[in-house]
Amino acid sequence: MDEEYDVIVLGTGLTECILSGIMSVNGKKVLHMDRNPYYGGESSSITPLEELYKRFQLLEGPPESMGRGRDWNVDLIPKFLMANGQLVKMLLYTEVTRYLDFKVVEGSFVYKGGKIYKVPSTETEALASNLMGMFEKRRFRKFLVFVANFDENDPKTFEGVDPQTTSMRDVYRKFDLGQDVIDFTGHALALYRTDDYLDQPCLETVNRIKLYSESLARYGKSPYLYPLYGLGELPQGFARLSAIYGGTYMLNKPVDDIIMENGKVVGVKSEGEVARCKQLICDPSYIPDRVRKAGQVIRIICILSHPIKNTNDANSCQIIIPQNQVNRKSDIYVCMISYAHNVAAQGKYIAIASTTVETTDPEKEVEPALELLEPIDQKFVAISDLYEPIDDGCESQVFCSCSYDATTHFETTCNDIKDIYKRMAGTAFDFENMKRKQNDVFGEAEQ
Amino acid sequence: ASAGDTQAGPRDAADQNFDYMFKLLLIGNSSVGKTSFLFRYADDSFTPAFVSTVGIDFKVKTVYRHDKRIKLQIWDTAGQERYRTITTAYYRGAMGFLLMYDIANQESFAAVQDWATQIKTYSWDNAQVILVGNKCDLEDERVVPAEDGRRLADDLGFEFFEASAKENINVKQVFERLVDVICEKMNESLEPSSSSGSNGKGPAVGDAPAPQPSSCSC
Repeated sequence: MDEEYDVIVLGTGLTECILSGIMSVNGKKVLHMDRNPYYGGESSSITPLEELYKRFQLLEGPPESMGRGRDWNVDLIPKFLMANGQLVKMLLYTEVTRYLDFKVVEGSFVYKGGKIYKVPSTETEALASNLMGMFEKRRFRKFLVFVANFDENDPKTFEGVDPQTTSMRDVYRKFDLGQDVIDFTGHALALYRTDDYLDQPCLETVNRIKLYSESLARYGKSPYLYPLYGLGELPQGFARLSAIYGGTYMLNKPVDDIIMENGKVVGVKSEGEVARCKQLICDPSYIPDRVRKAGQVIRIICILSHPIKNTNDANSCQIIIPQNQVNRKSDIYVCMISYAHNVAAQGKYIAIASTTVETTDPEKEVEPALELLEPIDQKFVAISDLYEPIDDGCESQVFCSCSYDATTHFETTCNDIKDIYKRMAGTAFDFENMKRKQNDVFGEAEQ
Repeated sequence: ASAGDTQAGPRDAADQNFDYMFKLLLIGNSSVGKTSFLFRYADDSFTPAFVSTVGIDFKVKTVYRHDKRIKLQIWDTAGQERYRTITTAYYRGAMGFLLMYDIANQESFAAVQDWATQIKTYSWDNAQVILVGNKCDLEDERVVPAEDGRRLADDLGFEFFEASAKENINVKQVFERLVDVICEKMNESLEPSSSSGSNGKGPAVGDAPAPQPSSCSC
C-alpha cells in the first residue's frame, strides 16, 4: 500500500468500478479500496438473506419459508439495463459481458386508474392495447410513426417540428394526444420522473422514446435486461477488468484520511499507511464534507410468493405509476425479479417499489405501488439521502460520484461516469476509450 | 437447455465446435504457481521469474475425453487473491476448481481450508475440486509433507495430487482427472429431473461472443 499510484478509487459501487476499469485499461496505476468486506457498496446485491435481515435490524431473521439464505441476492437499488442503452454499450466495449449472463425482463406495465396495462410501444401493440380508445389509438400510432422516422440530422423527417425550439407539449398537441396517453408516453416510454420535460425542446424526449423502442426491438418483450445473480455482479465484472489490467484491490480497508496539499489531493491514509496518488475517485460517503444533499429516495424491498397480478405471471417486470395518476410530482416505480434470475429461493419474487420523497410520510407515498403487490411476505424499508459533489473536482482532483437516483435504469449513472471521465482526463469521453488494449484471452479459440 | 424463450441472439456457429464446455477456476494463495500451472498446461511453457498475474483473463483449450470434444475455459484470478478480494462473480458457473498450495510454503497450505470454504459458499453444489500441492520439484525446501496434503484433501472430500509446473510433473494429469470427475458427476446428475448446471443462461448481449454456451448442453 505504501506506494505511488496514478489514481486511487474509494468505494466499489458501479460508477467507481467502471471508472477504475477505464483507468486501468488506459495504463493508469490504480489502487481501489472499499471500507466494506464486500464489493459494490450501495450497488451490491445482499447475500445470504440473513444479511439483509441484519442490515434492516430485523433481528428475528428470515423464517424457514424463505428457503436457503444463500439462494438470495437482493439488490438495494432497483434498476434494469436498457437493452440499447449506454451501460450495455460499456459492457460490450469492455467485454465485461464475458463475466455476466442476462435475461430479458418479461414485461413493462403502466398504471392507469388503479389498474395496470402493458406499455404499448410499437404500432401493432398500440392498436391492440386496451389502454386507449379507438380514435386515440390511431393518433398515438401516427405519433409513434413520426418518432420512429425522426432523425435529428434530417429536417425532412421533422414534419414541421423544430427539435430545438418546439416544446414536447406542442408536439403532443400536434398529434392531439390526450392526458392518459401523454402520461404513459412521457413516463413509461421516455422514462421521465416528472412533468418538467413538457416545456423543454422536444428533441431529448423524442430521442428517449427512440431509445425505448430500439431497446425493445432488441429482444421483443421489454426494453430491459437484468443480470443473473443480481445487479451486484456488474461492479464485480468491472473490478475484474480493472484487476486484469493491473488494478490493485483491497476490501475491508477503512479510510482514515484523505491527504491534501495546497488544495490538491496527494494521498489516502488507511490503517497507518499512506498511499500517494495524483487523482482520487470516490462515492459521496467517503467525503461527507464535500457533498450536498440533493433529495431523498424511498425504496421498499418486498418479498412475495406470487407473481404480480395482471402481469401474465411474468417472472420479471417493471411497473410505472405516472405521477399524474396518483396526484404526485414524481413517478412511483416497481421493479420485480424472481428466482428465475438466481436472486431468490424457488418460487419467490422480489419487488422493489421506489420513488423520490415528496412528503414527511414517504411510506404512505408508495402505497399505490404496495397495493399492487399484496400479499407481501416481508417488507424492508429504506429511505436514502441522495448526494452530489459540491464542486467539479478539477481543482482538488477529488472526483466524487453522485448517489444512485430514483430512475429505474442506468442512463443517469452512465452520464455521471462520462462526465467524471471528462473532468479527469480533460478530453471528452469516447466509448472507444474503454476497449481492452491487449489480448487477455489465450488459447486456440476463435477469439 | 436453458432460458427457453427468453434466449436471444443466436450463438455463433463457430462456438459449436465442441460437445461440452467446462469453466474451470484456479484458486489459492498468491505465488503458489497458478498462472505457471496454467501456462504449462495450455502452452507447455514455463517462466521462472515471479510475475504477479496481470493481463490474463482466461485460457481456452479443447481436449478429447471419451470421444467428446470438451472445451475448457480456464480462468485465472487476475491477482485478486493477493488481498483476498476475489469477486463472488468469479465463482459463478464454475464446474471445477484446482485449489493450489505450494509445498514449500506453509502459509499457502494453511489457507487451503479457507479457500475451500469460499468455494463451498460461492459455487454450485456439484462443483468438483482437486487439491494440488505445486512445486514438488522443490524437495529440499518442502515444508508440507505429501501425507498432510492427502489427509486434508480426504477431510475436504477432494482428490489430491502433487505436481510441478516447472518440471512438468502431473500437470496434464491433474487437468485430465478434473475433467473426468466432472464428467462422472455430470453423468450421475443427468438423471431425469435434475436441473443442476443449466442455470438459465440468458441472451448474449449485443454482438459480443457468447462467452458461456450452456455448460451442460447434453
